[in-house]
Amino acid sequence: MTIKCTFAAAAAMALATALPASAQTADEFPSKAITYILPFDPGGESDIAARFQQAVWNAHTGHDVIIQYQPGAGGAQAWSQLNDIAGDGYTVMGINLPHTILQPLEGNAGYTTEDLTPIHYFHYTPNAIFVPSDSEFETLQQLVDHATANPGMVTLAGSGSKSANNLGQLEFDQAAGITTTYVPFSGTGPSITAVLGNQTTGGFNYATSAMAQGDALRMLAVASEERMPAFPDVPTFTELGFEIVGGAYRGIAVPASTPEDIRQRLSDIVSEINADPEFVTRMEEGGFVLTDIPYDEMPEFVAQMTEEYSAGAAALGIGE
Amino acid sequence: MELLGYFLNALTPLNLGLALAGVVLGTIIGALPGLSATMAVAVLVPFTFAMEPASGLIALGAIYTGAIYGGAFAAILVNTPGTPSSIATTFDGYPMAQRGDGGLAVTLATLASVCGGLIGALALLFLAPPLARVALAFGPPEYFWLAVFGLTLIAALSVGNTLKGLIGACIGLLLSMVGVAVVGGDVRLTGNLPSFLGGIDVVSALIGLYCVPVILDLVATRAAHLKVPDSDKGYRLREAGGIAWASRFNVVRSSVIGTVVGILPGAGGSIAGLVSYTEARRSSPRSANFGKGEPDGVIATEAANNATVGGGFIPTLVLGIPGTPPDAIILGALLVQGIQIGPQLFTGEADIVYTFIFGLLIATVLMLPAGLLIGRYAYRSIISFPKSLLVPTIAFLTVVGSFAIHSSVHDVQVMFGLGVLGWVLNRYGFQASPIVLGLVLGQIAEQGFVQTYLIGNASGNLTGMYFGRPISIGIIAAALLSLCYPFYAEWRAKRKNTRPLTEIAIGAEGHPAETVVAPVRALPAARVPDTGALVAAVMFIAVGALALMDTGGMSAMGSVFPRAISILLIALSLLMGVLALTGRGVRATPPEPAATARRRTVLGAIFGLWVLAIPLLGFAASGLIAFLTMMVVAEHDRQPMAVWVRRTVIAVGVVGAFWLLMSRLLMLRMPAGLLF
Repeated sequence: MTIKCTFAAAAAMALATALPASAQTADEFPSKAITYILPFDPGGESDIAARFQQAVWNAHTGHDVIIQYQPGAGGAQAWSQLNDIAGDGYTVMGINLPHTILQPLEGNAGYTTEDLTPIHYFHYTPNAIFVPSDSEFETLQQLVDHATANPGMVTLAGSGSKSANNLGQLEFDQAAGITTTYVPFSGTGPSITAVLGNQTTGGFNYATSAMAQGDALRMLAVASEERMPAFPDVPTFTELGFEIVGGAYRGIAVPASTPEDIRQRLSDIVSEINADPEFVTRMEEGGFVLTDIPYDEMPEFVAQMTEEYSAGAAALGIGE
Repeated sequence: MELLGYFLNALTPLNLGLALAGVVLGTIIGALPGLSATMAVAVLVPFTFAMEPASGLIALGAIYTGAIYGGAFAAILVNTPGTPSSIATTFDGYPMAQRGDGGLAVTLATLASVCGGLIGALALLFLAPPLARVALAFGPPEYFWLAVFGLTLIAALSVGNTLKGLIGACIGLLLSMVGVAVVGGDVRLTGNLPSFLGGIDVVSALIGLYCVPVILDLVATRAAHLKVPDSDKGYRLREAGGIAWASRFNVVRSSVIGTVVGILPGAGGSIAGLVSYTEARRSSPRSANFGKGEPDGVIATEAANNATVGGGFIPTLVLGIPGTPPDAIILGALLVQGIQIGPQLFTGEADIVYTFIFGLLIATVLMLPAGLLIGRYAYRSIISFPKSLLVPTIAFLTVVGSFAIHSSVHDVQVMFGLGVLGWVLNRYGFQASPIVLGLVLGQIAEQGFVQTYLIGNASGNLTGMYFGRPISIGIIAAALLSLCYPFYAEWRAKRKNTRPLTEIAIGAEGHPAETVVAPVRALPAARVPDTGALVAAVMFIAVGALALMDTGGMSAMGSVFPRAISILLIALSLLMGVLALTGRGVRATPPEPAATARRRTVLGAIFGLWVLAIPLLGFAASGLIAFLTMMVVAEHDRQPMAVWVRRTVIAVGVVGAFWLLMSRLLMLRMPAGLLF
């Protein structure tokens, strides 16, 4: 049944693409509302960032953006269908790294990294290690000492298996020469709940959680290159002698059939929003780090990331 | 005194109007299976940017609470939960409607929803910060046991046929594990098809398993869908009020359960409804009537699921951890407005928060008149529609709903496939509900189990993690009680040599309505092998074996649960096979003669072709063609031309209205195909 359907869908697609696209120049784009699909449940980092973009989108383009959610398989379900969507620029999709590199490496994700067409990576959330504020651990070194003395006993909650959080925790184990137990949860929300409730020793999550939870959490170290402006007192892993820089990048992708000039125009819009003072304030207050990787720098960026994360993936036992 | 000021803020004409509009829109969206509060709230968030924060929140909250309530309509009238929250409403709501008490059930659901919603919102108003700690006290073991508690309902739902109930639950649990595993990250049971990576969507499975059998059986017989009472008694508000007052303790208990379950992130309305239904059934003197049209069942579920709305906002607003997807969207809307979430929200931004909570309370009260009117209209339409319109309309709604979830035709095909499977299994005595329970609770049970194992193993205290925590012990005790109570009650009745419980219940004081008691089937005298059960047993053993093979090379984390379930499934099926061979098992009712089955087969074939044709012909075109053909198949009598013309116009209207709703209002991407 499904084979038949795939065939039918392919036939319909072929026909749809064969029809001449309506004349649309990039200057007039957009002339109506854009649909922005997020391949996750609402409430995560992708959603919050997209909502911040949505709030100023109209001011920059004169039209609205509509956010929809198509969760499934850690994003793979939506990404595997991205290229089936009409490439007129009016449907775009959130895209994440390292997800879109690790999932195809694992195999059977329904897409390859090269199938996807990111036009802009606009922000990044570094990994960070958290403990609840009433925890006995005041510094990362105390936690590392405890873990050295008690191999496997330190439990760290994170979002998903073979994910950015999981990768970060493994790198931390390697760099510090310790063994911790990673406990995967179905998202940032449930894993932070477990940390707050003292169900685990701590958590390997994104730095954004420190903003959302305020005083209830203690961030011991952050995996950014430099200290984050929002958290001047929190040291980086590198400062403390552990060479770990990582997290998740988020951007916007379009169907492969989208014309070059529309891709460029969308990339310009996202860059413009990235410079909007209101948007910048919201994002930084939220613990996000803005990055500005536009369409023309994309091939280089993706190649570099693929190389970095493939090395990490080997550590996770992915793609063997 | 301050609170009064906030109350008056909430009472501005704009806020009142938004609350009313939100409740009406939410109720309609919720009543259509597959269209969810998440979808409506997500689309409407941008409109709230231009409003005062409190007004925007009131509109979103009203839609959410209306949608949870609206789910009851579809559950009662067509046996299909409009949202997963009203799964347990089908158990008694639909039997009530079938015997002519549909109007009463809708009114009862409205009263219970309003009470539950108020109790949840009051808890949010007065107890939010302390109650938020409940969310933190619940760790992985508690979630695991909560899911197990939900599964014990299977024992009660399948009294007299526990074996088939358990096998159904195993099938449901296996279905819940299809796709990429959260714990372990393995790709499981997908048959190497990428479209199954995201798993089987619970909502499309609900629509298929509950609704497709109704459609297939509807067309096979001449009898009306629902029995129409001789004299239409209107809202039956007085009668419903009397019943609700008589079971006020049930209303309050269910609302409290709903509030507490709502506080748990990730648990949600479906579990709240199932847990309070289980509790209501266990503690009721009429427990044998549950599942056969007992009003207390509808009351318990509907009070609990609306209480989760207020409950869910507690962790959302206090901890910044959303309880449900609509909560998460509302949280995002708050952040965009520049409002920082956390305990300080109740002091720093008191005006916004309290105005919002009062708005939610007002919206809940408005649900009473709005819900009664919409419910009345829905009930009248369902009983007055001729079958030849009812069948295609319901079928079209199943396609609309399952498509809307992800804008994906794949979900529609899964819906239809599971529906046919559910119908066939039903023939062999396997009910849909145990499968659904397994599917809904499987993920929570598995994640809780594996996380508990990881944490317990790390701390070197596995037994203590699973069995030693106070809340866990409480849930385990409740689960054991609800598991054993039905058997104990039947045993006691037998021992005292008294009448069976069902008969006692009918005589019980204050029993609200005449109940149809299923005639006790006489067991066949000769013990001949039961071929149907035998075939089913062989099939399930094969399914279990395939699942074992598929999970063979996976990580321990990802394979422990599916393997355990597969082994259980094989063992149970072996037992059933042996019983069937010796003719000792419980037999399914024999199917009706083949003559009535022809229309059903034709309808099933049209339905199957339809779900395959959607990507080829386009959503609207295939829908219209299928609608018109089904209309003809579902008509048992000859009708004059004028009737057909009128019905064709209605068909075009229904298909067109939904196409517009989906493509223009909810902004879904519709498959265009060759035509339109």
